[in-house]
Amino acid sequence: MMLIEYQSQRVSLWYFRLALVLFILQVILGLWLSINYAFTLPQELVNVFPFSTARALHTNLLVAWMLLGFMGGTYYILPPECSRDLFSEKIAYLQLIIFVGAAVTAVVGFLFGWTQGKPLLEIPLPLDWVIVVAALMFIANVAMTIIKAEVRTALQWMLLGGVTFLALMYLFGMPFYQNLNTDYYYWWWVIHLWVEGAWEVVTASIVAYIIMRVTGVDRKVVEKWLYVETGLFLFTGIVGTGHHYYWIGAPDYWIWWGGIFSALEPLPIVLMVVDTWMHVRERKNPIVNPLTWYYIIGLAIYHLVGAGLWGFMHTLPPINYYTHGSQVTVSHGHLAFFGAYALLNLTIFYFAMPRLKGINKYDDRLGKWGFWITTIGMFILGLVFGIAGILQTYLERFLDIGYSTAHLTMMFWFRVAFGVGLVFLAGVVITVYHLFTIRPSNLPAPEPVVAPAADI
Amino acid sequence: MTGKTARLIFWLGTLSSAAIFLWQTYDFHKQTPKFTHTDKLTEQVVAGKKVWHKYNCNDCHTILGFGGYYAPDMTKAFYRLGENNIASIVQHPEVMYKNSFRKMPHLGVSETETKQLVSFLRWVGEIENRHWPPQDEKFVEAYKLRESQPQKLDKVHLVLQACGGCHTFENQGRNVGGDLTAIANRITYDRQTLINYMINPQSVRPGVAMPPQDVSPQTAGIIADFILSLKSTKEVSK
Repeated sequence: MMLIEYQSQRVSLWYFRLALVLFILQVILGLWLSINYAFTLPQELVNVFPFSTARALHTNLLVAWMLLGFMGGTYYILPPECSRDLFSEKIAYLQLIIFVGAAVTAVVGFLFGWTQGKPLLEIPLPLDWVIVVAALMFIANVAMTIIKAEVRTALQWMLLGGVTFLALMYLFGMPFYQNLNTDYYYWWWVIHLWVEGAWEVVTASIVAYIIMRVTGVDRKVVEKWLYVETGLFLFTGIVGTGHHYYWIGAPDYWIWWGGIFSALEPLPIVLMVVDTWMHVRERKNPIVNPLTWYYIIGLAIYHLVGAGLWGFMHTLPPINYYTHGSQVTVSHGHLAFFGAYALLNLTIFYFAMPRLKGINKYDDRLGKWGFWITTIGMFILGLVFGIAGILQTYLERFLDIGYSTAHLTMMFWFRVAFGVGLVFLAGVVITVYHLFTIRPSNLPAPEPVVAPAADI
Repeated sequence: MTGKTARLIFWLGTLSSAAIFLWQTYDFHKQTPKFTHTDKLTEQVVAGKKVWHKYNCNDCHTILGFGGYYAPDMTKAFYRLGENNIASIVQHPEVMYKNSFRKMPHLGVSETETKQLVSFLRWVGEIENRHWPPQDEKFVEAYKLRESQPQKLDKVHLVLQACGGCHTFENQGRNVGGDLTAIANRITYDRQTLINYMINPQSVRPGVAMPPQDVSPQTAGIIADFILSLKSTKEVSK
């Protein structure tokens, strides 16, 4: 039995599986990083596997698994949105092989010091080009599917726009800039305009699709909110990039523009929470799998707290002057990435994977454990990093105590972080295991009221 | 709200923000020479930036506040540490951090690369970035003071700049050679012996690990007075 409407939707399954494996690897490396903080490692070990290499792995695995999730998610929702199969399944699989091949080469390369040496964008230039090829194949495949479709929806264009924007911004991280301030200026075109621009557009589109399918709320209503949300995301997010330009040797007005626009950045997320909540209330379909709801609501709220509120406080110029480049950033980074994008990917996985396996109603006991352990675990982790960051800020920037002395106080907090991290890893393993072995529930599922997308 | 209004909000928001941003980007490039002194951006500095990338320094250290958060911010490192300290740390981290709870990997940075890296950090230190990071501002001020009026030096600043690369004082500096207050209470040297010791340690205490210091006898005299004053203060306060 198949619950999917088009055979080509099945390509996404491999994207999801690989993404989940990389997710576990990322968390394991995160635990290793916390050990680096919590204990004194012997010089011999530091020489062969330094913190910098482990961090490059941790962050690149994050980007890799999330991009795999986005691409798989796009391939999953595109056929029903376009009422036709993908333009080419072969391109989709070939692109996956190229992308994963580049990622594996990069990981092995990092271990031998093959790096571009830019934090978060460590992948060397030749591999960058390979990734560009994979991205072009992806965009071409998405665009051709949309062009050849007989139906036109706002969601299609939003999705295509989002992934094109994402790929375009990547190019700005590739050249070598002689001037450090220019280097960082364009570095943020990738980092910030991704997470507070392109990724938000993709997120809003995917969330809109899932909400529409799960709740059965009218397409017109959902798409109207999609326009407003995405418009606000881009309005606040683009100039909001300026909150990274306060201390890099840039003109004064960035303080104002960056400060004001980044203070507005939580607005679209608030709207997203309200919007989600309203759609949930006005749903026409019965709840088939409560776990999907957990993830949708969890995503909206966590997104608001981690990215919205934490980011809001941290980027106000008078606060940022003291907290910039401290563990406060680490706290914000973890809560924001988990809250916005890890939960989004898991929402897609929980929406799509059972359907790809022909399961309408699944047994979700393990999945609920996974949900609560990871969400609460990451929240505590964010608080622990936050405490370490506030301590560091106070000692280093207010009491004028040297960096290393201030960092000594962090050893305790990172031992706590390691412990919480272990719990988090357990939650992730449970979630991934549940997704891989998802099986039908014995309870009969209520029949959905709303017909497939083709009829909407 | 109608679908048309929603689309209008989308295009208006996106395009206005993009227009502002692109104009600011143009202006940023126009003003960058002023903020970063591009006239001093020599080949040596660019070579240093490549060294910075080659050893992936930025995934432990932060610079301009961005990077790994695991090791100190390097924006004003030139002022905080000085050329010689940076060189010793980069080339012999296993010695400099022998007693430290945090280690730096031995990367095998060559002498030429070290010089390039120092030029890069010197140039970065001069970027006008609104006195950030705040905790390093005292080192910048001390450095500029030393350059402009060497006769009116604040002793603490002088001592930390000259000796802080190895010695600690009141929680500042690097603990390789011991705390100056503890040393002051241990040694029995008079002023002149202390001056001789700084300029040529072996002549006073053969076999000692401290390298000869490149300071004038006058500067050494100021430092000696300072160290000896630590001693008397301690005794009085007891």
